[in-house]
Formats: sequence, structure tokens, C-alpha cells
Amino acid sequence: MTASRLFDLLIALLYLTGSITYPLGLVLRRAFLKRIAVWTSVAAFALHTVDLAVRFIEIGAVNLQQGQFYMSLLAWFFVLVFFVLWSRLKHDFLAMITAPLALVLFSSSLAVRTQVLAIPEHFSALWFSLHVGTIFVSLGLITMAFGAGVAYLHLEKIIKTKAKMPGFSKDLPSLETFDRANHWAVSVGFPLYTISLMSGFLWASFTWKRVISWDPKELISIVIWTLFAALFHQRTALGWRGRKPAKTAIVLFVLCLVSMVGVNFLLPTHHSFRP
Amino acid sequence: MNQEIYLVGLNHKTAGVDIRERFALSDCDPVATGLVGDTGAVSEAMILSTCNRVEFLVVGDSDADIRARVLRFWADHCGQPQGDLENHTYCHTGDRAVDHLFTVAASLDSMILGEPQILGQLKTAYRNAVEKGAAKVIVNRLLHKAFSVAKRVRTETAIASSAVSISYAAVELARKIFSDLTNHRALLIGAGEMAELAATHLLSAGVRDITVVNRTLARAEELARQFNGRPMPFEDLHQALLETDIVISSTGSPTAIIRAKDMKEVLRQRRNRPIFFIDIAVPRDIDPDINVLDNVYLYDIDDLKEVVEENLAGRQQEAGKARGIVAEEVGAFMRWRDGLALQPTIVALLDQGERIARKELRKSIKQLGPDPDPQMVAVLERLAKSLCHKIYHEPISYLKRRSQEEGSAQRFIHNARRMFNLDEETVPEEAHLDRKGGGQ
Repeated sequence: MTASRLFDLLIALLYLTGSITYPLGLVLRRAFLKRIAVWTSVAAFALHTVDLAVRFIEIGAVNLQQGQFYMSLLAWFFVLVFFVLWSRLKHDFLAMITAPLALVLFSSSLAVRTQVLAIPEHFSALWFSLHVGTIFVSLGLITMAFGAGVAYLHLEKIIKTKAKMPGFSKDLPSLETFDRANHWAVSVGFPLYTISLMSGFLWASFTWKRVISWDPKELISIVIWTLFAALFHQRTALGWRGRKPAKTAIVLFVLCLVSMVGVNFLLPTHHSFRP
Repeated sequence: MNQEIYLVGLNHKTAGVDIRERFALSDCDPVATGLVGDTGAVSEAMILSTCNRVEFLVVGDSDADIRARVLRFWADHCGQPQGDLENHTYCHTGDRAVDHLFTVAASLDSMILGEPQILGQLKTAYRNAVEKGAAKVIVNRLLHKAFSVAKRVRTETAIASSAVSISYAAVELARKIFSDLTNHRALLIGAGEMAELAATHLLSAGVRDITVVNRTLARAEELARQFNGRPMPFEDLHQALLETDIVISSTGSPTAIIRAKDMKEVLRQRRNRPIFFIDIAVPRDIDPDINVLDNVYLYDIDDLKEVVEENLAGRQQEAGKARGIVAEEVGAFMRWRDGLALQPTIVALLDQGERIARKELRKSIKQLGPDPDPQMVAVLERLAKSLCHKIYHEPISYLKRRSQEEGSAQRFIHNARRMFNLDEETVPEEAHLDRKGGGQ
């Protein structure tokens, strides 16, 4: 137990190093600090993968009802999505938001007491992994859109008000790059979110013989989906660009945080991670 | 005989342009003209001559009056009276000369702080000195270091990262809005020197093409030819705004030619693709209110001037950091220079030998098993030590003999240091320069 605890701490420490060194490298204009940040994130990701694999073998199955495993897997997915986006967008500003998020999620996974939620019977593994897999990727994308949105609004304000550009902002990529991150997140994330929601409701209708049970998690998910759908529509059909989608993505992310942390841990719901 | 580093010269701060042009020294061979010779007081020289400075980097006898010698050579070579030089030149020696060279290389002594040209000019000057055989141990090392100092300053400070001309500031702003200029088109409305300069900058920054709109179509066609773009009549301005993303406007129109309420319709048709207006005209061509619209960015001439002024102030600030780097590197260089004496080199050589001997000894003792025979260990120790001393004996006594000779001591010590890698350095990028013979 202590050995695996130490291993977990090492991973958290590596994510922490990544979280600190990247912004530091930006401010101090030291390329090697940024490289250190990226490589520690890579190392943390590798160890994290091992950690998850070991846990998987220990438990014998992907136990997503267990809060610790869930959060840890979510953090892992974030880093994975980051690497994919990184290869697409070719800018490591993504490192700035990914490492801290992975750190927060991973360390909160450590804080969660090992408690296994009672799983309803007839839980088809395939169905369930569809439900959770799609939500993970789409949450990762929403997070990216959030980071890109904050950066977009910051840079746009500087350009619009013709304010003095501090050294940090000079290294930021262009507005177009941030907007493209938003475009990606919306056009891929929304369909995935929809699949996740649909699979959940369909499963509920098969197993519990009712589509909706007015559970807090279900309600907030529908709110998020509605906002996401509006954003998707405005972006793809009406050609929204820049400011408005950036702001919407930020609101979307905050709602997701409320849903993930607030609802899963504090309210009585069938998604609860409460001990 | 003691060798010393000298830097004699004048620059835009000490001499007016009339003096600078009279004493310019392009294409001067220090060896053929007799400044550098085997028997003379000057053993190495490099001449840097640009429109803002003429400088001699000289390694010579510390007992001779190098300054007077250089000034005489300089005045004779230019066919001008030496008296005209006296009041405009500076002469630095030792670490101050090194400091000056590094400062120049890092573009901290330039008229426009951080401008990149000086480094290229310095490289050319150095290449000339190498090809003429006027650069030897010290100048070689000095210039390699100067180049790496310049590189450090560029990467570790923001001294050269911002635009300091109005047209270039416009390009930099466009880069902050669009990720890849090759996907975007530019539109030039009207004509004028600064607008054309901005268009040229945009083209070299990779913008896809340039559309030219003018009240007189003939003028538009002429400009379009110049930029390899396409002309459009003024009546089609609305259409042009749909097809382009960066607009430079500088017409003589007394009223605004693009108004906010027209722009809303344009934006709708553009499906909100961002558009960047650069308004260079006075009075302004573009309604300032359009900057309020989403995905529309407008900079007028005053805004751009402000950006440039801020950037210049920023460079001043970064220069302080850069001077710190220069001071650090001057220290490192002077330490290397002091190491070129015989005694420290011998000590370093023996140190290195003993270090290797001890390391190998440890390895061998390990191979003897967990509990080695103490007698055997003692024998091995003696063997290692005496091997090291015997091997280093010949190079050391050779160095001692050579250092009695005039002039050649430093070269041999330097070679020995490099051969045994006593300074533990990696080969610098420009190292091949000093191995290139003449005739290139």
C-alpha cells in the first residue's frame, strides 16, 4: 500500500513540476524550462498509465464506480487529449492548462476515499464504457476550449484596447489559433457528449424502465447539453467566431465542474462518489 | 613579451557621418598591408567597418604603443590626416576591449538597440580576417564567444522580439490575429510610402496575395504590378472587403470610406471571419467605431506609433539584462585567457591524468573481487600513477621548451589545452571558420 502511495505521490509531483515550470519558462523566457515542463508531463503520463494498469489488474476490471479510479482515469484522459490536440495545433500553450488540471484531478483522486459504489445489475460493460469513454473525451475537449477561451479573451482585450503587451502575452499564439481550439472542441466534443447522454438515458430506459428519474446529475447534464447544443448550432450554422464561443465555452466548463465536483460528491445521485 | 587585447575604433556616438565616411575601411587586408606580421608588434587583427562604426580588434605587444600604431595605419590607409581621428576614437584594452566587442555583437551598441544586422557584419569581418590569416588563437576564440553571447542575448532576453518600425509593427499585430498569414489576403486601399512599405512587409511575411483598390484604376493597376497582385476598381470595395483579411488604407479622402454600419453587413457576409484594418491615412479613412465590432480589429497611425514607442522602451529595459549576460561572458573569457599561461596548463594536465588514473584504478580493483589482496592493490596504484606521469612527461617538457620561444607559446599552450580538452567545451558552431584556408 505504501509503495503504491509513494508511486502516486511521485506522479503528482511530476505533474506539479510540469505545472510550475511551464509558466515559469514563459515568464523568464527560458526554453529549457518549457522543455522540462513538457518532458515531466510526458513522464508523469507514462507513470500514470502504469499506475492505472496496476490498479486495473488489482481490481480485475475497469471499476468506474470507484471515485478514485474514475478521477485518475479522467486525469489520464485529459493528458491524452492534450497530446492529440498538441500534435494538431502545434502549440504548447496547451501544456499550461493541461498539467495543472491533471494535477488537480489526480490529487483529488488521491483524496477520494476508496469506496466502491453499488452498481446496478445488468450493467453492460460495453454500454457503460461507451457512456464513460465519450464523456471523458468530451470533458477533455471542453477543458481545452476553456483554456483557449480564457487566453482568447485576454489577448483580444489587449489587441482591442491597444494596451501594452506584457512579455508573457507576446509568446501567446494568435487569436485564430485559440479560436480553432474552440472549433475543434465544439465540433468533436458536442457529438461525443450527445452520445454519452443518449447512451445513459437508453440504458436507464432498458434497466430501470424509465428514461429519466429527475436525478440531479441528469438534470445538470441536460442543462449542459442544451448550452452545448446552442454553441454547436451557432458555430456551425450561424458562423459564430471568436468572443462569443470563447465565453460560452468558459460557462460550459464551469457547469461541467459543478456537475463533476458539486453533484457527484455532494448531492445524492446515482452517479455519487460519496463514501 | 606580453600579449594584450586592444579595441580601437569610432562609432556613431563618437563621430559624425562625415568622419565615418572618410575613415571607412571596407576591404582592407591587415596582412597584405603590413599591420599584422610575424615580427611586428601586432600578431592578430580584425577590422569591422559598417556605416555606423569602424573598429580594429587587435592582439599585440603590451609594451608597444598599439593605439598610435593602429591610428597611423588607419589614417595612412584612408589617405586622411591622423589628427582628424584623434578626438573621435576610443581605445579599450583587456577586459574592457572584450566587453566592448561582446556589447557590439549583442547589438547593445547599435543605433537601434537590438537590430540584427550587426551580427552578420561581424561574421563577415571575422571571415575576412580568417581568410587573410589575420585571426589566430585569441581572435578566433574571442569571436566564437562573441557569436555565442549574441545568441544568448537573443534567446534569453526580449531585446529583438518586438517591432520598432510602424510598418513592421502592423505585420506583428497581424501575426497576433491570424495564425498563418499564408492563408490570408491583404488589401491595399490608396497609395503612399508607408502603406506600400507595410504591403511589402506583409508579402515577405508570407501573406497570400495583395489586392489593390484605388480611385484611379490606372494607379491601382500600376501598384498591383509592383506587388504581383490584382487591381480592383473603387466601386468594388465592398466585394474586396469580403475576399481579404488584412486591409491597409491610406487614401486622401477627407471623410471615412469604411463606416461601422457598412461593416456589419460585410461581417455577416464574411461569416464573422476576422478582419484587421490598418489605417495609415490622415484624416482617417476608417470609422474608429468599427473597432467595437466583434472580430474586427482597427489600428490607426497613432496606435501603431504607440506600439513602436512601447517596444523601444521595452528594448531599453531588456538591454540591462543583456549587459548582465555580456559581463558574465567577459569574465569567462578572461578566465580562459589567464589559463593560457604555462603553469596552470601543466597543473590542469597532471590533474586530468591523475583523475583518469584513479578512475581506472577503481574499476580494476573492483574486478579483483570483493576482498582484494592489499599488496596487489598497492602495485596497481603505483602502476597507474607512474603511467600517468610518464605519459604526460613528454608533452609537458615539450610545452616548457616551446614556451621559451618568442610568440609561439600561446599557440602551443592553446593547442595542448584543446587536444586534451582541458576546458571541457563543446565545439562552437563557427569553429570551422578558422580552419578554412584563404581563396574562397
